[in-house]
Amino acid sequence: MGNQYVEMGLSAPVNATWEVTFKCNLSCIHCLSDSGRKRPGELTTAECRQVIDQLAGQKVFQFNIGGGEPFARPDFPDLMEYAHEKGMVTCISTNGTLIDRDIARRLDKGLVYIQVSLDGAAPESNDAIRGQGSFKAAMKALDHLHSRSIEVSINTVLTRLSFPELDKLHDLAASVGAKLRVSRFRPSGRGKASWSDLNVSQDQMADFSGWLSQHLGVSTGDSFFSVTTEERRSLGLNMCGACKLTCCVSPKGEVYPCAFLQDPDFLAGKLPRDRFGDIWRDSPVFASFRELEIKSCESCHRFDLCHGGCPAIAFHTQRKLGVPDPGCLVNCVTVKSMEKFEKHVAKTAMAAG
Amino acid sequence: MGPHTIYNLNAGVQVRREVFGLLFYNYKGPRLYFVPSRDLIDPDFFDGRRTVGDLVDTLGSRHAWPEQWISDRVHQVLGVLEEKGLIHGQSVC
Repeated sequence: MGNQYVEMGLSAPVNATWEVTFKCNLSCIHCLSDSGRKRPGELTTAECRQVIDQLAGQKVFQFNIGGGEPFARPDFPDLMEYAHEKGMVTCISTNGTLIDRDIARRLDKGLVYIQVSLDGAAPESNDAIRGQGSFKAAMKALDHLHSRSIEVSINTVLTRLSFPELDKLHDLAASVGAKLRVSRFRPSGRGKASWSDLNVSQDQMADFSGWLSQHLGVSTGDSFFSVTTEERRSLGLNMCGACKLTCCVSPKGEVYPCAFLQDPDFLAGKLPRDRFGDIWRDSPVFASFRELEIKSCESCHRFDLCHGGCPAIAFHTQRKLGVPDPGCLVNCVTVKSMEKFEKHVAKTAMAAG
Repeated sequence: MGPHTIYNLNAGVQVRREVFGLLFYNYKGPRLYFVPSRDLIDPDFFDGRRTVGDLVDTLGSRHAWPEQWISDRVHQVLGVLEEKGLIHGQSVC
């Protein structure tokens, strides 16, 4: 990644996350956007086409589509075809439950990647997080997509529950011709309420870092640069891409730095009312984000690998920006070493006593 | 690659101008490729309507750079882009 070129300021994001609806037929306990019912003010079909026009006009290369469940919008396949006509690539995150043969057939004509969400390698573990029947439906979608040779990933959010199943999920993905992608759990949406129960321990995060180093084919998006090791240095970002490489458009057209910072404090503009190019270039919110420095991390030996980690997690857990990511590998390894040391001391004390 | 070669983007490749030069995006990955070429080559060049010779001539008339230097630099950049699988050339001679 050419950090020095990114720091010069890009004319537009490389990709934009677009949450096209709040509507979802599942009710996952960690949902970052608290999705469920369609909400008032969601963009109409005509407005969505204007959003596509605006971003294509700025030469944004890719939409990362999420929600809600994108396929819960009846106009969604048409909108994707419209984006593809404009030359844009779409990466669609879906629960898979609404993908049938016909949808898969329409998708295989476009520049599209699909990420099907699974949070466990078996119905019991997955459905405990994502709801009854969701595993079976997602597997059926994977079959449909595989039969059309569409590039697919299984997307898993790393939690205390999914962490022990990573090897099985890796095998499951391979068995359906998919890659495994692991995303970071963030305390936004319903994730705020489930954060303390589901977030991995620092010990697990340190182990996960090691696991990633041994599974270089597993992708992480921009989720885990706080625990990236040298082995994965060339595989992705080593810094937060918000407002530099990416941004987020909400179902109502609001523009934010990233999907995990959809708070009023971070609202940069609204589409299609405002011009996307103006928001990207002139928004004070984006300008301040680009200047964000995590000073306390700069002397760390890992700074070049993570640049302080994810500001969204730091914000949600500490209510301020410019502070280190609490999932920092240095902290995790220190905590893990301390826990081992404490166990060792306790064992020694027991043996002596 | 000769002066009568035109270039087009490969399937799934997009390009845009940036302050530093050109930013390529490849659907097939690796996704991004940064080319610090400043204003040497315009993204429109990859629509295949102008030859390498046309490009060198245009740059020669626009800048006081030595023609050989321009030609060498253009050939170097295009060669790397072709090697990376981002563009393909075709002789129109």
